[in-house]
Amino acid sequence: MAGRGRGRGQNVSFNIEQLGFGRGEAVPVSVTQPPPLFPTLENRPLPLIKDVEYEYILVTQKDLNTRMRNSSFHLNTAIEIQEIQQIHNPSYEKELPVLWNRMPTELKKSIAKKLGIEKLKTVKSGKKKKIEDPDKIFAKLEKKEIVESEGEGMCDGKEDEDEKEKSDDEKVEVEDDIEEEIDEEMDEGTDYASNYFDNGEGYLDEDDNLDEGEAQF
Amino acid sequence: MPPFTLGHFSQVKKALAVMIQHNLVKFEASERNNNIAEYSIIHHNVYCLLRYPKYLYMIKRIYGTSEEILLEILLNLGQASASNVIFQSANRLKEANDDSEISDPSALHQSFLKLAQDNFIIRCPKLADNASMQKVPTLVVEEKEKFTVPHLEIGPIAKLLKENATQLGEHSDSEVIWRVNHERFDVELRNVILVNAAARRVDSTAGELYHLILKLWRECSNPDSPTTNALSFNVIKDAVRKNEGSSPVLLEHFEQYLRVLYEDTSSLITKVGDAGGGQFILNYSIVFENLACATLDSIVLERFGSKALRLFRLTRIQKFMEQDQMQNIAMIPAKEAKMFTYKLLEHNFLQIKELKKGTSNFAPVKSFILFHVDLPQQVARTALEASYKGLFNAMVRQMHDLTDNKRLLDKHARLETLLESLRGEGLPEDELAYLSDSMTAAEKSLVARIHSMNDHLTLGQTQADDTILILESYLKFSSMT
Repeated sequence: MAGRGRGRGQNVSFNIEQLGFGRGEAVPVSVTQPPPLFPTLENRPLPLIKDVEYEYILVTQKDLNTRMRNSSFHLNTAIEIQEIQQIHNPSYEKELPVLWNRMPTELKKSIAKKLGIEKLKTVKSGKKKKIEDPDKIFAKLEKKEIVESEGEGMCDGKEDEDEKEKSDDEKVEVEDDIEEEIDEEMDEGTDYASNYFDNGEGYLDEDDNLDEGEAQF
Repeated sequence: MPPFTLGHFSQVKKALAVMIQHNLVKFEASERNNNIAEYSIIHHNVYCLLRYPKYLYMIKRIYGTSEEILLEILLNLGQASASNVIFQSANRLKEANDDSEISDPSALHQSFLKLAQDNFIIRCPKLADNASMQKVPTLVVEEKEKFTVPHLEIGPIAKLLKENATQLGEHSDSEVIWRVNHERFDVELRNVILVNAAARRVDSTAGELYHLILKLWRECSNPDSPTTNALSFNVIKDAVRKNEGSSPVLLEHFEQYLRVLYEDTSSLITKVGDAGGGQFILNYSIVFENLACATLDSIVLERFGSKALRLFRLTRIQKFMEQDQMQNIAMIPAKEAKMFTYKLLEHNFLQIKELKKGTSNFAPVKSFILFHVDLPQQVARTALEASYKGLFNAMVRQMHDLTDNKRLLDKHARLETLLESLRGEGLPEDELAYLSDSMTAAEKSLVARIHSMNDHLTLGQTQADDTILILESYLKFSSMT
C-alpha cells in the first residue's frame, strides 16, 4: 500500500514506452460498451469468383432446389396442407415414393394402433364409416351412399384411396385398413376438430351431413 | 424465420422416412429391444447436400451428359434400383428434347456401369433374409459386391418408355438399391483442388500430368492412408505415352514437367528414392498443410493487410519469436508492429508462450514472451469456425429474403409462365406488354434485385464450402500422422 501513487507514479510496474506510445502521445480511449453487433468492415472483401464452373453450379443448384420442392418428398407444414385441402379436392394426397420395405415398420403404421382401437371405435358416432366391413361390402356401400349425400361419399372416397395405397405396399392386413379408417379421423391436421369454425363456404351446398370432423354441437 | 411446429405425429414419421430414403438418417434396432429402432443423423451427408451441384459438374466434366442425368436422378430419388434410375433418366432426357426422340436405355445402361466401375455410386446394404419378419429390418453390407451391377432387363424398360409410362412397376433388380457414394466424391473434390493447384503453380500441361499421376496413385494406394504408395518414373512414363488424351506438349516435355513438379516447394509430388528412374509419392499431410497455409495467409492478408501478413508468415516460419525480433526482421515500425501483433493475437492467429527466466531471488522475475503460430489447433479451427458461420449466415439470409418476399416472387413466377404460354400460342406483343404491366416497374426491379442477391448468396456459400474443404482435409490429415 505504501508508495501507491506517491511520488508521481515512481513505482509503476511498466512504462508507457514499452507499449509503443512515445511520451505525451494520447493513450487510446478505453472501451465503455460492448462492441457493435455489425461492426464496420475495415477492408472490403474480395469479389466472388464468377467463371464457367460457378455459373453452372448456380443454375444446377436452382434446378435441384425447384425439383426437390415440387417432388412428393417435400412435406408441407400443417398450415400448407390445410390451404391445399381448401383449394383442391380434400382427398388429394400424394403417395410418398419411399422404399417402405427397407424402413422400420413403425414408420408405416399409424398412431391409432398405439392408442387402442377399441376406445376410438366407441367414440365415433353412428354416421361415421362402417368400420367392420371388409373391402368388397365397402365398395357396395360406397355406391349406395354416393346417392344419399356428398359428405359421406367424400369420406369414403378418401378411405378408398388410402386402401389403394396400402395395397401397393407388401403387407395388406385387414387390421391396417381399420387403422387407416380411424386414422383418417385423426389426420385432420390438429387435435381440434377441423370444422368447429365454420367458414361459411358450405352455406348453400345441398347436403344433409357434410361432416368431416366430430364437432357436432 | 417462420416458427416451426412438428404438427401431427404422422408428419414426423413421414419426415423420418424421407430422410432415411435420402441417406441423411440411419436406423438400427435398439440393443435392449429389437422391435424399437434408434435413429441417428449422418452429419457428413447432410452437409454434402450443399455439394450436389459440384458433384454434377465433376461428373459432367469427367464423363458427359448421360452420366450427369443419371446422377441427378439418383440424387433426386435418394435410393433407387438401377432399372428405375435408367428409366427415369430416359424420361428426363425425353422431356428435355421435347418428346421428340426416345433415347436408347442401353446407352444409359453403359453409363451406369461406368459410374459403378469408378465407384461414384455404391450399393446400399441389402435386406437380411428374415427382414420382412422383423419390425426393424436388419441391413447387411456385402463388401465384395458393393459396386457390382446386377443383370438388368433393358427390353421391358424400352417398351415402357415407348408407351410413355411414368412409373416403372415391377422389375428384376428391384432389391438391389444404389445410392451416391459421398466418400468417393470427397476424394474427387480433393483431387480437383490438387490438380488446380498444380495448374496454377506451373501451367495447364502440368495440371494434366498431375491429373494422370493422381489416377495412377489412386489405383495403387489405399485411399485412407496419409501417403500414397510409390510410383516409379517408368510407370509414369508408360502411362503418359499410352494415354490418348495427352497433349503433344506433355509427351514431349513430360520429364521436365515432372521435375518441375517434384522440385516445387508445394510438395505436390515428393521424390523418395531413385529406383526405376525415381520413386514418387504424394504426402497428403504436407500438401494440405501447404494449401491450408496459403488459404490462411490470404485470409490474414484480406482482413488485416500486408504488414500483418508479413508478421504472420515470419512467425510461422521461425516458430517462436519475440516481439522485438519480429519488428526488426519484418522491418515494420514498432508501433504498427505491436498493433498488428495484438490484432492477430486477438483473432487467434498468434499464440503467446511465456518463459520465465528467473535469475536470482532478489531481482524481479523477467519473462520472455514468445509468439508462435499454432496451426492445427488454433488457427485452422478458428478459420474453419468462421467459414461455417459465414456459410450459415448466407443461408439464413437467403431463406429470410425468400420467405419475406414469397408473395411477390410467386406472383412474378406466375406472370412469367403465363406470358410464356401465351407467347407460345402466338398472342400479339402489345397484349403481352399490357399483361406484363400488371406488375409495376418497381416491383419488377425489386424481383430482379432479389434474384441477384440470391445468386450472390448461393455463390458465396459454394465458395465458402471450397475453403471449408481445404481446412477440413488439412485437419483430417494432420491428425492422422
